[in-house]
Amino acid sequence: MTQHLDDDAELYALGYTERERSDEIEAHLATCVACCRRVAAAEEAAASLSAALPPMPAAKPRAASWQRNWWPSLATAAAVVLGTTTALEGFIAHGASERVARTDTALTALAAAHFGHTTLTAQPGLVAKAIYSRDGSWCYVVASGAPRGAHVVFRTATGTEDLGALDDGTPATLFAQQPGRAEEVDIVTAGTVIAHGKPVY
Amino acid sequence: MSFDEAAFNDAYTAHAGRLRAVAFDVLHNREAAEDAVHSALMRVWSSSSYRAERGALLPFLIACVRREALDTLRGANRRQLREVKAVADDPVSIDETAAIDPIEARRVRLALESLPESQRDVINRAYFGHRTLLEVSRETDVPLGTVKSRLAAGLRRLHTVLSPGAAPS
Repeated sequence: MTQHLDDDAELYALGYTERERSDEIEAHLATCVACCRRVAAAEEAAASLSAALPPMPAAKPRAASWQRNWWPSLATAAAVVLGTTTALEGFIAHGASERVARTDTALTALAAAHFGHTTLTAQPGLVAKAIYSRDGSWCYVVASGAPRGAHVVFRTATGTEDLGALDDGTPATLFAQQPGRAEEVDIVTAGTVIAHGKPVY
Repeated sequence: MSFDEAAFNDAYTAHAGRLRAVAFDVLHNREAAEDAVHSALMRVWSSSSYRAERGALLPFLIACVRREALDTLRGANRRQLREVKAVADDPVSIDETAAIDPIEARRVRLALESLPESQRDVINRAYFGHRTLLEVSRETDVPLGTVKSRLAAGLRRLHTVLSPGAAPS
């Protein structure tokens, strides 16, 4: 698509374009700075509208959900990966008064990171995800409901590697450095695969 | 350098409330809203689609989350969401006291009031009233294409009015 976006710039910013059209628009935005700026302006206005929304109501008291726990874990993983970057050093060094700036710095660092993720197909009661760098330099597995001591196993064309046991946290996690690129990633306990997934690099 | 997990989590927390509010406004379901936020951000990160020309990060993320939530509403899971689907609200108005950012909400309300009635009405019905553009078209007896044009023009004008340095109305 080479034509500029016209009104679709604003409709896209507000989410009123269908997924197929959105995909076309995103492909166009990758090559058109003028339309990027127009969409950015529209998204800025749309973000202002969102400030007038009420906050999401608090959850009823219950066990911590997967979603609530998963995020800080991902932040941890990403920070481990990005922890030596100048941007993050700057982010961490700043005081509370620069909260907004450091927030954007951190999230921008995350946004620029090249990693993928896959939800593992798991037995009932277990929810697990693998987050991995596309170059195979690290992998982070997060599992909610995994039995204590379960291991993460990488399977490649040449063999199998046990990356170690998930920790006892909630959710349980395992961060592995230089695991390579797996064709399959499993969570295993007592010789039985209880979760399985295929990373896409 | 040691990793300051608390600081990093703080960074997420600073935006998470806003992103969840956006998703929840569309889906009216906590779990679906959290899933939408998660999916949107993973989509952003796995595709590395953010770059400087897209402007500030937060508006970009908010737009991604809203798109994800609306896609969810339009998609295969709609039946699952039927009981909690966002329903069209009656007279639409901004409740500044309940807003996630009351000061910005007041600025938005004043900015909206400066828009031509036709543009303000479409924004109110579609954004704050949770109507689809087709529903807006039917309610107002205005062609769908015109509804889209008015919405787009209204958003452009809103951006101008809200931009720093814009003359107060």
